[in-house]
Amino acid sequence: MADDQARNLWRAGVSEYLPVEYNKYTADLKTAKDDIAKEADRFVLFRDYKPYIQRFKDILVLGNEILVKVEIEKAKKADSLSEQISSFKTIISNLQKFTLKINEGRLARADLMKADLLLNEVELRYKKGEYAAAEAKIDDLSMYLKSAEDSLSPIIGRYSDRSQVEKWQKWAEDTVAESREKGIIVIVVNKSKRTLSIYRDGELMKKYSVGIGRNGSFDKIHAGDNATPEGKYKITKKLPASRYYKALLINYPSDQDRKQFILAKKKGLVPNKAGIGGLIEIHGGGSDTMTFGCISMENRQMDEIYNMVKVGTPVTIVGAVHLENSISSALGGK
Amino acid sequence: MRYLILSMMVVFMFVGCSSQPTTEMNDAKAAVDAVIAEGAEKYAQVDAQKLNDDLAAAMAEITTQEGKMMKNYSKAKEALVKVKADADTLKAGLPAKKEEAKQSAITSQTDAKTAIDDAKALLAKAPKGKGSKADIEAMKADLKGLDESLPEVQKLIDTEDYSAAIEKANAIKEKAAGVSDQINQAMEKVGAKAEVKK
Repeated sequence: MADDQARNLWRAGVSEYLPVEYNKYTADLKTAKDDIAKEADRFVLFRDYKPYIQRFKDILVLGNEILVKVEIEKAKKADSLSEQISSFKTIISNLQKFTLKINEGRLARADLMKADLLLNEVELRYKKGEYAAAEAKIDDLSMYLKSAEDSLSPIIGRYSDRSQVEKWQKWAEDTVAESREKGIIVIVVNKSKRTLSIYRDGELMKKYSVGIGRNGSFDKIHAGDNATPEGKYKITKKLPASRYYKALLINYPSDQDRKQFILAKKKGLVPNKAGIGGLIEIHGGGSDTMTFGCISMENRQMDEIYNMVKVGTPVTIVGAVHLENSISSALGGK
Repeated sequence: MRYLILSMMVVFMFVGCSSQPTTEMNDAKAAVDAVIAEGAEKYAQVDAQKLNDDLAAAMAEITTQEGKMMKNYSKAKEALVKVKADADTLKAGLPAKKEEAKQSAITSQTDAKTAIDDAKALLAKAPKGKGSKADIEAMKADLKGLDESLPEVQKLIDTEDYSAAIEKANAIKEKAAGVSDQINQAMEKVGAKAEVKK
């Protein structure tokens, strides 16, 4: 019976959940078996098995107690794993949805896919009751998830930064105020909303969907970064026929952009041969495209604004105008 | 004298019948332990489970007989002998089961790779319609994640963890098929729009 119990304890994974208790149990059992073997070697008339009966009974009681304990431990582990699986599912799902909202989402998708595959394995092991193996996979899963979050956190950080958003908000408000005061048309581009708004006399006239740079959620620092610049600009040239239908060239880089570029260069954030870049336009070609940093629109909408604006029309490009924007609130369910 | 002989025969008979089949018990347990140690639970899960159940049933029969006045272990003995024989048979057939599991893992690995390649090929033909550019980039990254997970299947095969390799490969295949489905749906949409435009 004791042998059977020992086998059951081993199969229940006691050595893994309660190693100290299991070692004591196996040591006790071994000693008792060794002693009973010695007893059996004695002359038949001197043999006395009575003390062993009690010893084996005690071992069986200990074994049963350990089995109960291990079942409790397993249940706890199962609950904890179930919670973790549910939590990871939510995190992965939210991150996956978020990555579809920004052009930079691709940077996190591969890691998210790996994390998702591992979560699948964790669930399978959990269902089979292989809790230790499931937990081991969770460590790997967390690593990929962290890597995915690290890819996205600089973006989320910018759009959740109160002072940054307030700065953008002020630029947008100042631009609309200028429109009201001077009775002119102004353009405000909101990158998180992917919209281009036209104001006349401070009133919203039209709003269009736009595409931005491949890394458009970031502020443009240098040539080739595929980021869309943020700042207060003006239209410097109207191009009736450009590579991307009609285009409105803006005065990027501004003085502010130049200062920012020099600072970034000092900090080593700019590749050696990279210049500050230029030729940032609002152009046609479709609002769904990912540009090298320009703002793209549908051609028929480009026709509309091309006729409304003139050289000198203010163009203000901001990331967001509310702290609660589509990027900062994207992981709200996390 | 006659009574003495008779009573000795009766005692002998009872002693003979009442002793536990220790040798058979030890042999059966050792045989089961050996086949489990060889990986029976990994490569022949159902057979291993049956062996465990049969051994447990035989041991239960011994416990039942222990509680009886007139003990008869013949049934338990028979069962234990059968357990040992089954364990030995399973052990002998284990290399073949292992090879079978390995081949299944390799097939699953190939299927997973094919599913990724199919999705990649489909993505290359994906429609460049509205909203598709970012989606294509996202799907490319998804396939990259799947591609980079494939070597893990090989690692599992190398460590002879074939069931885990199959699970992983199947999950990769399923995800890759999911990407293909998305592309097909997008292609169908574009196709439908083109029809309307005509």
